[in-house]
Amino acid sequence: MTETPQSFVVPAPPATGPMTDKITAENVDVFYGSFQAIKNASLAMKSEHVTALIGPSGCGKSTFLRALDRMHDLTPGARVEGTILLDGEDIYGADADPVVIRHRIGMVFQRPNPFPKTIYENVVYGPRIHGERSKAKLDEAAERALRQAALWDEVKDRLHRSALDLSGGQQQRLCIARAVALNPEVILMDEPASALDPIATSKIEDLIGQLTEQFTVVIVTHSMQQAARISDFTAFFHLGEIVETGPTNQIFTHPKEKRTEDYITGRFG
Amino acid sequence: MIALQARRSHRVERIALLGLRIAAAIVILAMASLLLYLAFEGTKTFFVDRFSLFAFLFSPTFAVDSNHPGAAVFIVGTLAVTVFAIAIGGPFGIAVGIFLAEIAPTRMTHVLKPAIEVMVGIPSVVYGWLGLTLLVPLIRTHTTSPSGFGLAAAGIVLSIMILPTVITLSEDAFRSLPTSLKEGSLALGATRWQTITRVLLPSAASGLAVALILGIARAVGETLAIQMVIGNATQFPAGIFAPTASLTTEIVTDMPGATQGTLLEHALFSMAFLLLLIAMVLIVLVRLALRRRS
Amino acid sequence: MAVTAPSARSVAATGSVRARKITNAVATVILWVMASSIIVMLALFVLYMVYLGWHALTPAFLFGTPKETSAGGGIGPEIFNSFYILVLTLFFTVPTAVAAGVYLQEYARPGTFRSAVQFSAESLATIPSIVMGLFGLLVFVYLFRWHFSALGGALTLTLLNLPALMRVTQEALSSVPDTLREASMALGGTKWQTITRVVLPSAIGRLTTGIVLIAGRIFGETAALIFTAGLSVPYNNPYALDLINLPHETLAVHLWYTHSESIVPDVDRIGNGSALVLLIMVLLFNVAARVLGRQLTKRFTGRVS
Repeated sequence: MTETPQSFVVPAPPATGPMTDKITAENVDVFYGSFQAIKNASLAMKSEHVTALIGPSGCGKSTFLRALDRMHDLTPGARVEGTILLDGEDIYGADADPVVIRHRIGMVFQRPNPFPKTIYENVVYGPRIHGERSKAKLDEAAERALRQAALWDEVKDRLHRSALDLSGGQQQRLCIARAVALNPEVILMDEPASALDPIATSKIEDLIGQLTEQFTVVIVTHSMQQAARISDFTAFFHLGEIVETGPTNQIFTHPKEKRTEDYITGRFG
Repeated sequence: MIALQARRSHRVERIALLGLRIAAAIVILAMASLLLYLAFEGTKTFFVDRFSLFAFLFSPTFAVDSNHPGAAVFIVGTLAVTVFAIAIGGPFGIAVGIFLAEIAPTRMTHVLKPAIEVMVGIPSVVYGWLGLTLLVPLIRTHTTSPSGFGLAAAGIVLSIMILPTVITLSEDAFRSLPTSLKEGSLALGATRWQTITRVLLPSAASGLAVALILGIARAVGETLAIQMVIGNATQFPAGIFAPTASLTTEIVTDMPGATQGTLLEHALFSMAFLLLLIAMVLIVLVRLALRRRS
Repeated sequence: MAVTAPSARSVAATGSVRARKITNAVATVILWVMASSIIVMLALFVLYMVYLGWHALTPAFLFGTPKETSAGGGIGPEIFNSFYILVLTLFFTVPTAVAAGVYLQEYARPGTFRSAVQFSAESLATIPSIVMGLFGLLVFVYLFRWHFSALGGALTLTLLNLPALMRVTQEALSSVPDTLREASMALGGTKWQTITRVVLPSAIGRLTTGIVLIAGRIFGETAALIFTAGLSVPYNNPYALDLINLPHETLAVHLWYTHSESIVPDVDRIGNGSALVLLIMVLLFNVAARVLGRQLTKRFTGRVS
């Protein structure tokens, strides 16, 4: 069986059905050596919606997020156990290829990390390494991705200048464009706005809202207000465990667990 | 659908990794063959020519015609010239290293560091030539030495040559100290010099040891610069202005005339092997010093 | 001397404090003098070499062939040989050292193989160049029977410079922040793609600077070449490109040769001229290293950094 090459220009077709479980984590444990960072986490993340992971610092939100696109493979001594399904297939299965998985699941990091290349080269990096050579297709992909990241108007006249000359907020939107250029199905965001000023932050938040028209978004955030503003579903992490999950409205107004309520009302965290 | 077969890029990955591993293996191979081959050739003096190891190391006579190549003269020569060089170059280098790390303003650094880089780049034969044309006549006119060639000339040239090594490594040693150390001392009212001598120097001790050991390694291994000014006389250094010879200068002086298979040639290779062993001992010392730092 | 507390309302310096400050000032002055003396000494050397060698730099000298017994020899073939052997050496050294450096820095896991490579590199770095030259003599001149040869010299120099270039590679690679590697991997890049498309281009400036500086050192290398590339140039074909069986004396070796073995009467003139040419080359290499490094960084990463 050969994989169908992803098209970089035509947006991926919408998922079947109104709201499917795009990524599902079942009884996931993550170990760093002998230290267990994530205990028995289970979570279903819905397609074309935003799932927020909240909780106090150091409780494992980022660790969980990184397990979703097999970024722990890069850390010696890290071990992921349990099952993580993408459209029903285990991404840690024997046949699963991390390179393909990371094509379908993109990640945006906390601090913007554009390559020291031009803006254009940053955006088309993903399609290039997955084999796209046609300049026409790359140009189209670049423009589409930059529009989706709400950056096109600001950079269209300087695509061939260094990406490092952009402001912090612009660099982060560039990183989003870079991830989006690959037409992934899921976008993971690890506190994407925490290194940015309030204006840049609100631009990113607006952007996330638009992104859900096409992508599934999972976002780690330390700001409850942000989670309440932009997410549809929320999972509350504490000490490496998922304490409670549910629709955002419900979590914030009628939390079922006491720990959740304590965190939300500011008693700790 | 998640792919079920290996992609083409993974094959590229495997080939690339193999190529890299081969390159790394070449390094090991080179060192191993060097060690073995020099050991083989260098011990012929003792196994084939039946010359005693003890005599080689300690006999003061180096007379090839009478089958008695005692290398003690050259060993002492190497020692003497190295001690001379590190006695001058060591403290001087550390001092300038301190200067660069703690005292120099940026504009001075922008002049001094390129100067040191140029010094590193100057070939050793040019240093030897400078010693020959500049230093030796100076020594001849101003001291008791009749020719100017000798231990002093070689020592001075060598100390200048090891300066860049000692300076750069000393500077690194100081720069790698946590600033909290310096701040703590200054906050208690110490002057900068007191901070340097009482707090920073002791803390940087192992890094400075590395600087000195590598300076010594450089001195032991230097050949041509010394050979051009040391006088190449097969005798113990009678005074600091007396001509003498070292292991490296002896090799380069007599090897062109040595026929393959003779005792002289074997003895010269034994000296080379001895130098190799000294180098390896120095590396072990450096590793010990680095281990003590962490 | 006991430390006396400053009097209750005074912040002025007391006697002992003044003494400490004087020591501090004196020490600072001494260090300034020492550091400046290095700059002065270097300037003196340069001026001296220019003064002595300037008038020797005639076209007849720079392009002429050396003479064995009479005056008027030139250094043309020697300069050619220096470059020839330099290019040969880099041809072998750069791929091997960069590959080994990439392996150590990006791939190797702690273990016997990695320790062996690191130890071998450290050892090779400390070996005196004359010992390396003798090894070259054993292997290339005797064992392979190449006699004096350019290839033998180049391979010996390769061994000599492998560790330095490996270290340059590793430092250049480690200057690239990990977050760039993460970004590439997160986009589905393989490790090799990440290295060739992101890490190496970002590091190319520093890498090139290091390579050019090492090239400068290779240009001036002598001890390792005396017994491998030889002390003469072929009489009837001084610019020969033969890799083996013909001696290829370089400029640095020639400088040594004229002052120890040679019997020509104008030793001083040849020596002064050769030394000056060597100095000029060193300075050129140093400048080129910086300029090239900066240009490449700008071209590959879009900004000067």
